[in-house]
Amino acid sequence: MLAILQPADGNLPLFLHVLGAVVVFGATGTVAIAGFAAQRRPEHRPLLASTVARTLLFGVLPAWILMRVGAEWIRSKEFTDGADEPGWLGVGYIVSDGSGVLLIVTGILAWISTRRGRVLLAVPILATICVIGFAAAWVAMSGKP
Amino acid sequence: MAAALNLMALRRERPSEVVVLFGLIRAAVVAIAAGALLAFVFGLWLVHEAGFGYGDGWIVAAIVLFIVANAMGGIGGRRDERTAAYARDLAAVDDAPSAELRRRVRDPISLGLSYGSGALLVVVLALMIWKPGT
Repeated sequence: MLAILQPADGNLPLFLHVLGAVVVFGATGTVAIAGFAAQRRPEHRPLLASTVARTLLFGVLPAWILMRVGAEWIRSKEFTDGADEPGWLGVGYIVSDGSGVLLIVTGILAWISTRRGRVLLAVPILATICVIGFAAAWVAMSGKP
Repeated sequence: MAAALNLMALRRERPSEVVVLFGLIRAAVVAIAAGALLAFVFGLWLVHEAGFGYGDGWIVAAIVLFIVANAMGGIGGRRDERTAAYARDLAAVDDAPSAELRRRVRDPISLGLSYGSGALLVVVLALMIWKPGT
């Protein structure tokens, strides 16, 4: 619904950006939920560690790339060289690039988790931080303060 | 969320593992339902704020598809609930793999409803962006 106010010439990149953002939000939330659940269910730690790692690899990573590529594509259309970029765009960069770094760290920790057969507590905590960041970016992108 | 956990459940054999994954789907559904309600309410508000009409074809189509998608997700979710209950019963006995449980987890109707629901929401997103007919 946020897309309702966008100009028509950036439809495809906007679609890819929003689709990627929706999936990365949900997949990262899944990592957080499964990661916290693993702390309370020791008998299923290997299963949940595998769930976390696979969700990161096959859900979060491609969706993040889709979101980020779509965002850059829109920016290149709407803000050509020299054009003043609004503050909300900066929020988007901070969150997307910052979450990218956090998700790489989360991915490494998730890989270590699968090797150890239990999810390290840092994994769901980092995923939750990313989800909160995505929500903040969501507000900035839609409200454009 | 639900799709990622469902895909993991498709690969599991032990009933207790299916119970865990379906239980997480249930937790995710709370967030999904809240998000769907907010998207619907604020989406309708935005139609008014942006100066579109509630009778515009693409908006009517989006509303209908959104409702159908949520109904499909709800029906699929209830079928999954019954599968989770069956898995809980098996887990309480000997937690041995079961052909019947495998069949229920891979039930094409349940999968079709759940993934069809997600696919319809992607169509709704496309309608929101391309706004055909405007």
